Amino acid sequence: MARSLLQRRPDSGLGNLRSSPADPSRNIDWTLMACQVALTVIGCFVVYSATRNGDDIDPYLFVTRQVIFAIAAAVVMVVVMVFDYEFWREHWKPLLIALLASLAFLVAAGGIAFDFGPIRVQPAEIAKFVALVALCAHLVDERSDEVSYPRFLGGLLIVGTPTVLIVAQPDLGSATVLLAMAMGVLLVAGAKFRYIVTISFLSLLTIGAAFVGNFVNNYQLDRVRVFFDEDNPDLQDQVYQVRNAVRALGTGGLFGKGWLQGPLTNGGDIPVMHADFPFAAVGEQFGLIGCAALLLLFVVALVRIWRIAHLSRDLLGTYLCAGVFTMLLWQVFQNVGMTMKIMPVTGLPMPFISYGGSGIITWFALFGLVQSVHMRRMR
Amino acid sequence: MAADKRATRLGILALVAVMLFGAIGTRLWFLQTVQADALQETVDATKRVVERINPERGRIFDADGRILADNKRVLTVSVDWRVLERSTDRAELFSRLSSWLDMTVDEMEARYDSGVFSRYSPLPLKRGILEPTAIALRERVEDFPGVMIETGWERVYPYAPLAAHVVGYMGAITAEDADAYRDAGYDISSQGEDVGRGGVEMELEHVLHGQWGQAVYEVDANNRVVRQLSYKPPVNGMDLQLSVDLDLQQYAEQILATQLAHRRTFTAKNPEVERILADERVVREPLDRSLPVGAEVPYKAPAGSVIVMNEETGEVAAMASYPTFDNRWFSSGLSDEKFEELFGSEDPDQSVFANRAIQGQYNLGSSFKPFVAYAALATGQIGAGTIFNDTGTYRLQSMTDEECRQQKCIYRNAICSGTGRPCVYGPVDVETSLAVSSDAFYYHLGEEFFRSGGTVLQDQIRRFGFGAETGVDLPDEFDGRIPTDELKQQLIKSGALDEDLEVPELLLGDEINMSIGQGLLAASPIQLAVAYATIANGGRVLTPRVVQAIYEPETPDDDRPGYADLAQGTLYRRIKADARRIPMTDDLREPITTGLARNVTGPGANGLSTTAEELFDIGYPPEAIPVAGKTGTAQGFQTYPWNDSSAFGAFSLDAQRPWTVVSYLEKAGYGSQGAAPVVKCMYLALSGITPLDPVEVADALDPESTVAAEPLPRVDLGCTAAASVPTVRPQD
Repeated sequence: MARSLLQRRPDSGLGNLRSSPADPSRNIDWTLMACQVALTVIGCFVVYSATRNGDDIDPYLFVTRQVIFAIAAAVVMVVVMVFDYEFWREHWKPLLIALLASLAFLVAAGGIAFDFGPIRVQPAEIAKFVALVALCAHLVDERSDEVSYPRFLGGLLIVGTPTVLIVAQPDLGSATVLLAMAMGVLLVAGAKFRYIVTISFLSLLTIGAAFVGNFVNNYQLDRVRVFFDEDNPDLQDQVYQVRNAVRALGTGGLFGKGWLQGPLTNGGDIPVMHADFPFAAVGEQFGLIGCAALLLLFVVALVRIWRIAHLSRDLLGTYLCAGVFTMLLWQVFQNVGMTMKIMPVTGLPMPFISYGGSGIITWFALFGLVQSVHMRRMR
Repeated sequence: MAADKRATRLGILALVAVMLFGAIGTRLWFLQTVQADALQETVDATKRVVERINPERGRIFDADGRILADNKRVLTVSVDWRVLERSTDRAELFSRLSSWLDMTVDEMEARYDSGVFSRYSPLPLKRGILEPTAIALRERVEDFPGVMIETGWERVYPYAPLAAHVVGYMGAITAEDADAYRDAGYDISSQGEDVGRGGVEMELEHVLHGQWGQAVYEVDANNRVVRQLSYKPPVNGMDLQLSVDLDLQQYAEQILATQLAHRRTFTAKNPEVERILADERVVREPLDRSLPVGAEVPYKAPAGSVIVMNEETGEVAAMASYPTFDNRWFSSGLSDEKFEELFGSEDPDQSVFANRAIQGQYNLGSSFKPFVAYAALATGQIGAGTIFNDTGTYRLQSMTDEECRQQKCIYRNAICSGTGRPCVYGPVDVETSLAVSSDAFYYHLGEEFFRSGGTVLQDQIRRFGFGAETGVDLPDEFDGRIPTDELKQQLIKSGALDEDLEVPELLLGDEINMSIGQGLLAASPIQLAVAYATIANGGRVLTPRVVQAIYEPETPDDDRPGYADLAQGTLYRRIKADARRIPMTDDLREPITTGLARNVTGPGANGLSTTAEELFDIGYPPEAIPVAGKTGTAQGFQTYPWNDSSAFGAFSLDAQRPWTVVSYLEKAGYGSQGAAPVVKCMYLALSGITPLDPVEVADALDPESTVAAEPLPRVDLGCTAAASVPTVRPQD
């Protein structure tokens, strides 16, 4: 019975009167789009509230840039939506090679972003998109409900290589997103249980090796140590950030302190809050109600993506949606979890909310991919 | 079917999502409802800055109001750790402070990174800034967020090193005391408060310290003070007036150091002794077999002490201990290496921190005899007129001839230098026994006490305060040792006595040794002073005092520099010495007092002079305080004569000038040679006959100096002149 409950299709997927099998532009999932827009707008407000404190800088500096990023991201999204997602199936190889090359260059040069004057591009963010389409395209060639062992190995290589390079950057947080994505896609593609176990084991091994091999810098190490050893006097700088984040969130109470009324958020007591702890800013200013509303938007988005995965006309669409679903789920959980001190701090930003150009563009592109699947579900 | 499997897998994915969001939701609910209030409190607390205000420590004055311990105001610039969190903020603040504090940014960063400063109180950047700088920084509070000026106090000792052992010094709280001080409210962190670490500073820490004040400020996110929420002013510590008279104290320290140096120029001869071999043959050989007979060994005379105490009130007018130290060293930021150089001597004879007047653990020698005499009189063992015939040697009466061959049963008097044989005093009563220091008389008493059983002698001795702390208001007093079965067991257990050679019970020999102040008996000079004062004042065992009065805080200064105006101060409490009464009827007191007076003025007996007679015979005019006293020579390691320590206790026979003076000089020769001259000089000073050097405020401490204390100017030793060389040396 439980099985049949899991297997239920959400609906027929036939859409409404405006829908048309022939014109993909009439099949956009507007609910998902609305969620995305709402999240982005909320993100701009959160970034503003968390950065306006600096006395000697323009209070609108960060939010202005965030709005510009969002507009650029929207353009990228439209481009992704226009392409049939089949396109990626045919062109994933050069993309992956370009990604690996840029990642390898960064590892050699030391750094996590390419600096083009005002714009900094983080390949680790772009890797989410590229690795996703590459893995899905690779798996879909199996044309079966099960994943064979050679194909699993190929998939492992496609995700594993950029992951290892990202770990070496070092950017553990982004690496975990790729691993989560791989697990989600492989699960849906029908990987055997032991494959999932293997990839989990390899993930732990990679992260462990990163610590042992000293790829992780002290700052990251300290952030993880804080989680287990809060009272260590050497770590008080790190503890300070998390402790204040929890305080900000908690003191918001049911209704929050009000817009721009949060003493911790608006007093600038939480370092890099606009990137790492936007959820605490929401919590302090808008309380449990605000947090629940924000999380609800993510839930709706997840439900819509999940539905699109179901309704997809082919396996590639399902896999792509499953990958986006897993990444979104993991990144939201990790970011909110570290704000609440149930996860160690990794510096993983909150999708659409956190400040950051590469992040927002990638997420717009990923949602574009999902829309693209939905738009072409009736073909 | 395929679609169904895919649906199942998507379903699993959804389940995972539900679980993760469930976890988030639960935690969110918990934080924002259940924990919200508690978190709010902690946030409020972090928005308050509590500044502790240290009180000014009470000052210490001598009897005349000279300021022995004073305070200097010190301003310290500190910064709240929270404004230093971000390295950019820190660098900016440090560079702005740099010129004000005359410190480089690197120096400040080094302090920030040093890890020695507690994160729970502001980081001290610079100690001892000038008042105008402090005012300027306070006025520019906007430019210096989180910067505060803390007012502290530094202890200064204007008359150092005089009376260093009595006044004490200040030092950091040690690890073993940390808990007790923390419970009392002290800041025990590494840059926390100093506390009194010796003398009155330590003993009366709770009176001197005062109560902390507290100011609570509300601050904004940048730690700028928004307003003061509460203010509780500190209560300054109370001032102390010592009974120590610095004029007399200075003289006591001078004469002590001068006399010890003088004694080092003398030597003792290695004597020839008879030794009985196993086959009962008697051989004559040198006492120290490594040296020839008659070899001259210099006295080491490394240390000593003098106490001048009022025998009616217990107030101590002078208490000197040699070697001494300068108590300013500890406020001078002493490095470990410097400490080692100044105070690191391994030789216990050289240890400067011991206040030998209260911590010396000494055999008292014959200076202990008056109390044995008291015990015999008080228990009715003898009467004032009981005569004992002193033949120079004493054979134990309770031993048979057979036993005498097994163990020592012949005890001898001291050697008279005229004859080279034990002095023979003929028939002596108790008064004469004290005057001439007849050992045989006291051997006899010791044996009688032992035969009567129990602890009769011990109990009588304890009446005078031996074997227990006197209760003087100074720390770490020695409580003394009175020979008993328990003491012997204890000493064997602790390894001080050899388990194989000693019996764990008191033997006749122990009791006999004790009756002449030797053996296991140990006492401090202050105990001896209290005991002599008890005879002098007719049976009141006093608790000695170095503090005579406590004044309310902030006694004003006098017009004379270096003095406080006690008349303008408010007396809080005058310390009255406790006293315990013991039986001291005239029948008991008379023969002892007379005997002790004769010890100083003569006459002796059987044509022999008394031990102190020659000394007081010249240079001690009739207008000087009439005294009664007793010499004592305590034998030291291997009974070598150069290890003899010298004791003298005396009290005044003039009720208008009631001074008891006790001196003890380690390894300095006979009582009449080492300690008695010091006591005589002190009485001449007390009588106003010897002019004293004026007491002056000390020059600044020389940080380059390599000695614990700069020596005081020497004094004239004319007062130590004696009519002739003393003639007796005690025998075992």
